[in-house]
Amino acid sequence: MTELWGVLTRHLPQFASGLWVTVRVVAFSFVIAMVVGTFIAALRVQPVKWLQRIGGVYVETFRNIPLLVLLIISFAGVRRMGIDINRWVAGCGSLGLYTAAYVAEALRSGVFAVGKGQIDASLSLGFTYGETLRKIVLPQAFRTVIPPLGNLIIAMVKNSAVIGVSLIALNDLLKEARLINASTPKTNEIFFWAAVGFLLLTVPATFAVRYLERRFVIKR
Amino acid sequence: MRGMRNLRWAIAALSVVAMLGVACGDDKPAAGTGGEVQKFEAGSTMADIQEKGEITIGVKYDVPPFGFENPQSKDIEGFDVDLGKAIASRLGVEPKFIEAISDNRIPFLQDGTVDLVLSTMTITTDRDADIDFSNPYFIAHGRTAVYEGSDVTGPADLGAGSRVCTALGSTYETTIIPKVAPDAKIEAVDAYSDCVELLQNGAVDAEITDNIILAGQKAGDDKIQLVGEDLTTDPYGIGIPDGQTDMQDFVNSVLDEMFSNGEWETIYDTWVGGVTGEDPELPNEWGTLQDALDNYPCVETC
Amino acid sequence: MSYLFDPENWKWVTHGNNLRFIFEHFLNNLMLAVLAMVFSLIFGLGLALLRLSKNKPISKIAGAWIDVWRNLPLIFILLYLFLNLPDSIKRTYVDAIPNFFPEVMHESFFLAAIMGLTLYNSAVIAEIMRAGIQSLERGQGEAAAALGLPYWKSMRLIILPQGLRRMVPATVSQLITLTKDTSLVSIISIQEVVNGGQIIVNTAGSPFVDPGGPKAPVLHVFIVVGAMFVVFNLALSRLSRRLEIRERTRTGVTTERITGLEDQVALQADVA
Repeated sequence: MTELWGVLTRHLPQFASGLWVTVRVVAFSFVIAMVVGTFIAALRVQPVKWLQRIGGVYVETFRNIPLLVLLIISFAGVRRMGIDINRWVAGCGSLGLYTAAYVAEALRSGVFAVGKGQIDASLSLGFTYGETLRKIVLPQAFRTVIPPLGNLIIAMVKNSAVIGVSLIALNDLLKEARLINASTPKTNEIFFWAAVGFLLLTVPATFAVRYLERRFVIKR
Repeated sequence: MRGMRNLRWAIAALSVVAMLGVACGDDKPAAGTGGEVQKFEAGSTMADIQEKGEITIGVKYDVPPFGFENPQSKDIEGFDVDLGKAIASRLGVEPKFIEAISDNRIPFLQDGTVDLVLSTMTITTDRDADIDFSNPYFIAHGRTAVYEGSDVTGPADLGAGSRVCTALGSTYETTIIPKVAPDAKIEAVDAYSDCVELLQNGAVDAEITDNIILAGQKAGDDKIQLVGEDLTTDPYGIGIPDGQTDMQDFVNSVLDEMFSNGEWETIYDTWVGGVTGEDPELPNEWGTLQDALDNYPCVETC
Repeated sequence: MSYLFDPENWKWVTHGNNLRFIFEHFLNNLMLAVLAMVFSLIFGLGLALLRLSKNKPISKIAGAWIDVWRNLPLIFILLYLFLNLPDSIKRTYVDAIPNFFPEVMHESFFLAAIMGLTLYNSAVIAEIMRAGIQSLERGQGEAAAALGLPYWKSMRLIILPQGLRRMVPATVSQLITLTKDTSLVSIISIQEVVNGGQIIVNTAGSPFVDPGGPKAPVLHVFIVVGAMFVVFNLALSRLSRRLEIRERTRTGVTTERITGLEDQVALQADVA
């Protein structure tokens, strides 16, 4: 038990810096995922067929490829093409593009969840298309989309650990734990604190999502 | 140079084929190399292994020329593998090779996952606290490798802002690089193959590890260049579970026999001399286990 | 771009044993995924039932267990088990594996891989099942109770058959995630496709194994590796969609469906 606290106090700076890297990776990746995901969702709901196709191919590719493989391609492969990509760009870019496929799906189903009947009704009541979108569709779509997006942030925290074990080797929480473990093999204690670090990020988010789910769910 | 090397490879390949032919010709379980099957008294570690009919040996899977998987034949091959086969043949059992990376090879010995570890493991006093070692079976030296076009001529050139790749959990990560290139940032990766990739694509400025590992990488890519002086002397030892002195004595006797009858040198020529063109440094002439332990005195365990 | 499409850089695909080697490693991923899925379904159902138990402490403990395991990174769980799985367990495992089983399964850390994948995925599956059961429990459960069926009987005869059927699509999409996740076991040194790809990158054309053969660039090798996953998973998701449509036409359920969204479960309004 004393060893447990000893490990934490001796290596607190390393744990903290690892946690901070994890948080930053998730934050950057989330921005990328939202921007790209919104764009792809827009491609998939607009009327031009071949643009829809492109959006579809994007989603199917990035949803079905392992993140680890994507990380290898985006760092090692892209550098081989002569592009001097750095590890943060490659790491956050991969995680962002990977998650963007899920964001796009969440947004798309959110927009579709608002029934066509409501849109027709709104238009026939004399609302313009813009008003319909702003006042009827988006508020409901937003409420439908919040819980899945929350879930995606949780998934991103977990997936961010893959960046550290790949050849990109960012020193995130898991990587710092393993570096500590390499010099002082107290695996149980070290991994316990790393788990606490990850759960500090994911568990409150899970409860928040559950709360939002209950709060925002639209009864039909 | 190239022609010479190709010729060497052709000869090495021919001799391997010849050896395989011999091995296929007779029905003894011993694979590859010679050596008489010995008898051991009941209850000894060796007798237990003979009863099992199989010895599990942890080797690297990604470190040509010491331990690597040949995708064409799907066999695990290399210097460590041949040495492992030689030991197995003395026991008259089948060698079973499993992958042991730097992170897990000591736990594997401690928990009985493997009977021996032959995975380019440097003998250190700290490791000796957890496991036992044989006498040195290979003397490696720490070297620096850069990629063609680099102006780095040794670790002294690796100042602040430069990146050095090595394996997570290795002595290079924990002690050597912080000493020879204190300002450089260490990229600790899971496999040496990741280091090759990072070196080739320019994500790191240098790689520091054992020269034979670098030589193996050089065999795959000519543009990898070894620079600077020998940074360390790293005697490789065969890892043995802690306290198995009977196994330790047996492994040492096998090594001694192989040094004196030229078997060791054949393996060396096959896997190392063929790439580097250098003459072997005989481990038994370098020193004993005690010399190796003195070479790496304890850092943490005392 | 010319680097990507240069035919020289694609020659390795048809050379020697390269592609076959990678594909055989990919089969290990599939085997691992299927095995882990079977275990996850069994343990997941158990966890879901405990979680839905009327006994408060049991339900709370099951809930905490689920929340811990599905909120840790899978690679974290795998690495921990890899470094720290007790010797006695590993040895029992290795002794228990029959000889005719595939070679990868005989390594003791294969157990760490299966355990890690199962610990994580059974927690996720338990959540999917809980959502599936809860999505119809109230009305159906009340009707069953009104008909005088005891709790466990109504669970077995009415709730589970419908709830489980309803979660089939989400389970298939979790299988997709699981298949992708099997690539992570390369980190704990199990021979699978990422490992196999790296070996090809490192050895193709090397004098040790393949003198004179073409080089296999890392970009091209991992595009091929990625394509294997994409093709397999696309087929799975087609299957999932077909099952879903069949289910809908047969039962006429159009209200809610359960979707697995990258390991997280959400009850989503029906898209159709």
